[in-house]
Amino acid sequence: MDTLTHLMAGLSAALSLQNFAFALIGCVLGTLIGVLPGLGPAAGTAILIPLTFKLDPTGALIMLSAIYYGAMYGGTITSVLINVPGEAASVVTCIDGHQMAKQGRGGTALGIAAIGSFVGGIFATFALVIVAPPLAQVALKFGPPEFFALMLVGLCLITGLGGRSLLAGLVMAVLGLLIAMIGIDPVRGAPRFTLGIPSLYDGLGFIPVVMGLFGVAEILLAVQQPHRQVIKTDLASLIPSREEWRRSIGAIGRGTGIGFFLGLIPGVGSIIPTFVAYVFEKRLSKTPERFGNGAIEGVAAPESANNAYANAAMIPLLTLGIPSSPTIAVLMGAFIINGLTPGPFLFQERPDLVWAVIASFFLGNILLLVLNLPFVGLWARILHLPYQYVCVGTLTFCIIGAYSLQQNVFDIYVMIACGVIGYGMRKIDMPIAPLVLGLILGPFLEKSLRTSLEMSAGDFSIFFTRPLCLVLLVLAAVVLVASALRLPPREIREASAG
Amino acid sequence: MPNGRNAAKRGWQIACLCLLAIFVPALVTSLGYSLIDALGPGPGFFPFWLSLIGAVLSAVMLAQTTLAKTNEGMEISLPDRRGAVQALGMLVALTAAAALFEPLGYRLTMLPFIAALLVVLGARSPVAIALTALAGSFGVFYVFYHWLKVPLPVGVLGL
Repeated sequence: MDTLTHLMAGLSAALSLQNFAFALIGCVLGTLIGVLPGLGPAAGTAILIPLTFKLDPTGALIMLSAIYYGAMYGGTITSVLINVPGEAASVVTCIDGHQMAKQGRGGTALGIAAIGSFVGGIFATFALVIVAPPLAQVALKFGPPEFFALMLVGLCLITGLGGRSLLAGLVMAVLGLLIAMIGIDPVRGAPRFTLGIPSLYDGLGFIPVVMGLFGVAEILLAVQQPHRQVIKTDLASLIPSREEWRRSIGAIGRGTGIGFFLGLIPGVGSIIPTFVAYVFEKRLSKTPERFGNGAIEGVAAPESANNAYANAAMIPLLTLGIPSSPTIAVLMGAFIINGLTPGPFLFQERPDLVWAVIASFFLGNILLLVLNLPFVGLWARILHLPYQYVCVGTLTFCIIGAYSLQQNVFDIYVMIACGVIGYGMRKIDMPIAPLVLGLILGPFLEKSLRTSLEMSAGDFSIFFTRPLCLVLLVLAAVVLVASALRLPPREIREASAG
Repeated sequence: MPNGRNAAKRGWQIACLCLLAIFVPALVTSLGYSLIDALGPGPGFFPFWLSLIGAVLSAVMLAQTTLAKTNEGMEISLPDRRGAVQALGMLVALTAAAALFEPLGYRLTMLPFIAALLVVLGARSPVAIALTALAGSFGVFYVFYHWLKVPLPVGVLGL
């Protein structure tokens, strides 16, 4: 009952003219980010943070969340029409979506993707409403040792599932954690690794680093790739035929379930749910040979899984303060910029904000359906925009975003340096996600560790004498050992490696 | 000119050396901070262990990469000359923009930055370049500074 009351209050706040406008702007900008190849949701969300500086926290977070799931949907359009995923999760959609476009069924592919995304998003948001409050209540009982162990589990999952090499993932996570140590020590006030540079006293800004690793690096890669041709396809008939509906309904349901459950696990990136949903459909099908040749289930299942994942991934963030992916980490950064720490205490301290943001997910999913069904032709036309102008626009926003956070040019240099590093990492296929998550979780992880050890007067047995903490640490170890033994199926490892 | 696989192997080796060049000095530096004090773990505790773990793992990764008999699965696409020039031009333009950002202000920095970048990236229409540069400098400044109240720098010329 309490949940329903909070949800109604949240809906009322989300439906205020101002917040509705923010959700709409966020959905439009997010879809635009998804549509533009070479600009993923993490970079897109990060570079648009300055737009929200003067907004109240609720409006800012509604808009940034809408940008996030808008981008997750927008990637589908490029996957179908130019066979280039606008964001990583849409890779799988390329397989059958682009084939459908080649056969003149591009409109139907985009239509079923929008419908599947809507169903997946709405279901996951309902589940979020039901699951989040009790989970937050449980998390309130956690002490610093449990939070330390929980964050470790999240990092291990990201490291273990996040690429071809466990070793590289571990090194990147450790590097992210170490970079997070730069600045004034929050407990004792001593400067660390600042090299005498005053700009480093506040630490290395998370947003400039993300903009560099994702935004600038993606642009550097994009200028080296040939411009793709947009396929001429029928975009008038968006609604699937009766036979296509019959094939899609089950796929949408199964994709939604897979996306939702995998979204609950920190560290499972956005590619894995779509890939699992696709493989599952193919194995279930009586005619698997149609997959790869324009099977509508090959679009419906991964797209439903993608959006269900995107919404479900907010559950670990809002209830436990654990980001599941680099994009969610950027959203966590936005919470922190607004003076809020995601986690169970947020439900107690700012229920008005949390529930308004959750309620806005319903609104956002409806807006995305409206934006993407009738206006799909308009989005397709944006694909004709010359890439030079897209690159310049992105870099302009990156410069503004990096500078305006602290009005410090140093952050622009940080962004450029991270752009070069990110470019090199992409070239040799070094995982970036563990680095980003280590960077955002670093201060929280250190604080939990040190508070735990202060509680036990420096005795490490505190981590092994508390049952829940022990279970979580064993789980973290199991994840790492399983990854080392290469137990996750080959397809999943390869999918997560991109 | 190294092929894709050799370049990937060399890339990984360079990356491992760069990582060692970060972790080893960080390890030495963290020893200068207090590891344990009267209240428990000190400011150097977490950085020390992280640097140590990072250095060991990087060394293992370097050895693994160097001793690997096969380069299977390690391949990178090297940029062609045009792509490399464009990427380099973009980085030079970005660095120059950062250097001039506060002295000249947002508008006077971004106007030539956008125009130059468009030319480097292959845009050819002078009208489109000029309009984009104006919109990206003066237009964007107006929107961010006046509407969104985002503080962007105003230079010595008052622009």
